[in-house]
Amino acid sequence: MFVPHSELDLKKMFDELKINSLDDLFTHIPDALLLENGLDLPESLSELESIDYFDDIAARNKSELVCFAGGGHYDVYLPQTVKSLTMRPEFMTSYTPYQAEISQGILQVLFEFQSLVCDLTDMELANASLYDGATSIAEAISVAINKTKRDGVVISSGLNPNSKEVINTLIDRNKFNLHYVDLENYLFPTNFEFDDTQAAFVVSYPHYEGSCQDLTMLVERAKEKGLVTICYVDPSMLGVLTTPGQMGFDIIVAEGQSLGSPLSFGGPTVGWFATKKEFARLVPGRLIGESRDKDGNKSYVMTLRAREQDIRREKASSNICTNQTLNAIGSAIHLSWLGPEGIYEMGYHAIQKANYMRKQLIKNGYVIPNDDTSLREFLLEVKTDPSEVISKMGDKGFLAGILYDENHILVAVTEKRKKIEIDNYIESLIEVDHG
Amino acid sequence: MVSGGNASSLPLVGGKPEPTIKELSSPGRRASKFPKLDVPEVKINHESLKKEKARLPEVSEHDLVMHYSRLAHRNFAVDLGFYPLGSCTMKYNPRFADSIASDSRFANMHPSMPEQFTQGCLKVYYEIGNYLCEITGMDDASFQPPAGASGELTGLLIIKKYLEVNNLNHKTEIIVPDSAHGTNPASARMAGFTVVEVETDSRGMVNIEKLKEIVNVNTAGLMLTNPNTGGLFEEEILTISQIIHNAGGLLYYDGANLNAIVGASRPGDMGFDIVHSNLHKTFATPHGGGGPGSGPVAVKSFLREFLPGPIAENKDRKYNWYHPENSIGRMHGYHGNFLVTLRALVYMKLLGKEGLDKLGSYAVLNARYLSSKVSKIIPLAYDEPCMHEFVASVKDLKKSHKIKAYDVGKALLDKGFHSPTIYFPLIVEEALMFEPTETQSKETLDDLAESLKLIVDDLQKEDTVLEDYPKNLPVGRPNELIPAKYLTVNWGDFELLEITE
Repeated sequence: MFVPHSELDLKKMFDELKINSLDDLFTHIPDALLLENGLDLPESLSELESIDYFDDIAARNKSELVCFAGGGHYDVYLPQTVKSLTMRPEFMTSYTPYQAEISQGILQVLFEFQSLVCDLTDMELANASLYDGATSIAEAISVAINKTKRDGVVISSGLNPNSKEVINTLIDRNKFNLHYVDLENYLFPTNFEFDDTQAAFVVSYPHYEGSCQDLTMLVERAKEKGLVTICYVDPSMLGVLTTPGQMGFDIIVAEGQSLGSPLSFGGPTVGWFATKKEFARLVPGRLIGESRDKDGNKSYVMTLRAREQDIRREKASSNICTNQTLNAIGSAIHLSWLGPEGIYEMGYHAIQKANYMRKQLIKNGYVIPNDDTSLREFLLEVKTDPSEVISKMGDKGFLAGILYDENHILVAVTEKRKKIEIDNYIESLIEVDHG
Repeated sequence: MVSGGNASSLPLVGGKPEPTIKELSSPGRRASKFPKLDVPEVKINHESLKKEKARLPEVSEHDLVMHYSRLAHRNFAVDLGFYPLGSCTMKYNPRFADSIASDSRFANMHPSMPEQFTQGCLKVYYEIGNYLCEITGMDDASFQPPAGASGELTGLLIIKKYLEVNNLNHKTEIIVPDSAHGTNPASARMAGFTVVEVETDSRGMVNIEKLKEIVNVNTAGLMLTNPNTGGLFEEEILTISQIIHNAGGLLYYDGANLNAIVGASRPGDMGFDIVHSNLHKTFATPHGGGGPGSGPVAVKSFLREFLPGPIAENKDRKYNWYHPENSIGRMHGYHGNFLVTLRALVYMKLLGKEGLDKLGSYAVLNARYLSSKVSKIIPLAYDEPCMHEFVASVKDLKKSHKIKAYDVGKALLDKGFHSPTIYFPLIVEEALMFEPTETQSKETLDDLAESLKLIVDDLQKEDTVLEDYPKNLPVGRPNELIPAKYLTVNWGDFELLEITE
């Protein structure tokens, strides 16, 4: 099927190699290591049979639920233009642009991605992608540790709990002190005292709980003590929110799913990483630069390669090699499709609809503990067991949100949700959640 | 020249540089359109809201589509021609897998949905786990790692945690061959180990005597790929694993070269305790211009409880997430690169036992055949039968004519081929590493060898200016010093440089 060799081809190739069979290729491998009867696996399927096989699997997913879950991954509208352009075979079936002269397409799109990320966040330099939002935070913390040579890290607890787990995996807690700071009334305490043993201040904007605050003063105070300030941002809200760059952050990282990738059960999506030029040599991952060839033609090429693992080996700034280029391409095309007005409407509609939903919930006797500080995402206090509520809401056709704690569900609203869906959600909630 | 990899995809459309999307922008244009707001609009006051609009390009949808399509035309790809990039396994990626991965019942699943809503996704992980364990000879797998390097780090963190739990904290040294991928030492350092290099012998394999000298009570483990980065099968692998295991260390298999042995031999039977696989290499998921990949880690059963979780389990005909007891913790925000994993399962299903049993054989056949042809033009680095890839060296041409591996690679681009991997492994001077994969035909391999001969002849001519290659592509060799020195990494940076310089 995918192997082209006919009997005739095999004969010619065997003749060249002076062998009689495929088995003769492995005479130098110890017999004990050769599989005698091959693998214990099912027979192959044709495409037609595979359609049935995967149809059966797909049918087991409750993919039809109307999505009110967020936490970093949002059910926004992904235009067909973005999907079909990113699926162009030239983008999909190439690899890292090591050979610049035949890779100008990927190189230029990645350069545009870097520039678009910088423009959207008000930063100076972005890399060509990391794995996802969670791993990007850990990479940013590593940069801060390398830069400051300090061993303390101040981390806001208002992060996706999975992201905290990833940080705990990737940052060695035997060497570094991870200080998680609880939010107060769903906001980072503005009177928090930083000190000069700390390498980094990591905070989410908005917080995982959906509340949002101006972080300018905190950033200023952290910088006074020499900390590297790191902002984890929801990029799809940057059409309406003050940018992390304007608030003075040194590094911004993001889960870029909502710009250019479908929900994908969490992967593949894309991690964004942007910073200031003074950090350039500490940046993890690929970086594309603009240059000229000898005839003066504009050309793009991978740059600052000496940071990377294939050259620097154990002294590299990160071990990342394969990244999430195709998803970064998706981000670039989606941002270009949106434009300033589109990304504004995407954020503005989400905020308006979330606001409507909160007011309706409150009107129906529900408590929203962070009603006054939240924007598109908020905590909903339910009357019965929240995991039961999520389960029963599934039967009504809704993904009610993300289980937050024993009383709360984290609810997200995107520009895609309709008023009728919000109204029906609340009606169903009242039915299933009675204490 | 008759087949894939010939010059018919050249010149890549162009000549003139494509403007950036920002240069195409004009105020007032837009591609996006959203429905009218259907809730009552109210005034929202919040300290985080800004007044100004974001700085993004303003283009029509047609302008946008033309721009990115033109850029696609300036990019070589597996679908256009022969991509013999060693160590990267650039094989054909079946279209069919893309259609399954685009099914909204997979693609539109929110990652935080509870188990009862995601039985299909869990089944995908469960099924492919079984395939992968059978192919590698391991017992349990986690699909958390989103790429190979992340899989390596996972493997090392598992070793570390295993040593911690067994009070063997003095074991801090990871042995890595001097021929290893750069990600190996980088990952070992990230996991907090000291890297100790073991030399390669004149045959191109791990020097067993040197290995014995290096191994000591502090040895935590060995990272090895088999076949190794020279494309050679480590024939003494059973001895190697005995040496490491006797010292109380663990054996880690870097799956970068797994394609060579699928169906023929298994890392688990060689004595490896931990194996990472690159689904984007061995199992044909598209490389995406540099990613996404997927780097699942499979282990022997005694290491199951250290795996990053959660991992998919099947109990009472239902699938659920299992959280290993001594888990190193998450390597990814959710479940790894699900849609990549799904594509790999599709590929495994299409190949089935028949296809997978012979996968390694065909990959090796193509490499062995190409190496036979290439050896008549450029000497090979090792006089041993290669597996799925091989290394040639132009060090003699460098001496005689100043022709570097770099120049040969650039000249090949003109002939419609991607360059092989150059300057790797580091221990071979002026290395060119070819990996044809099993999906290329005999004619394509012949074409490459023929082109290589023409190039080597051309480059030796007296009037040749090596820097002129490639000659018939949209751009020549970019000046690599400018961006490195002036950090022209954002639009406007270069123009600013032109004004100030």
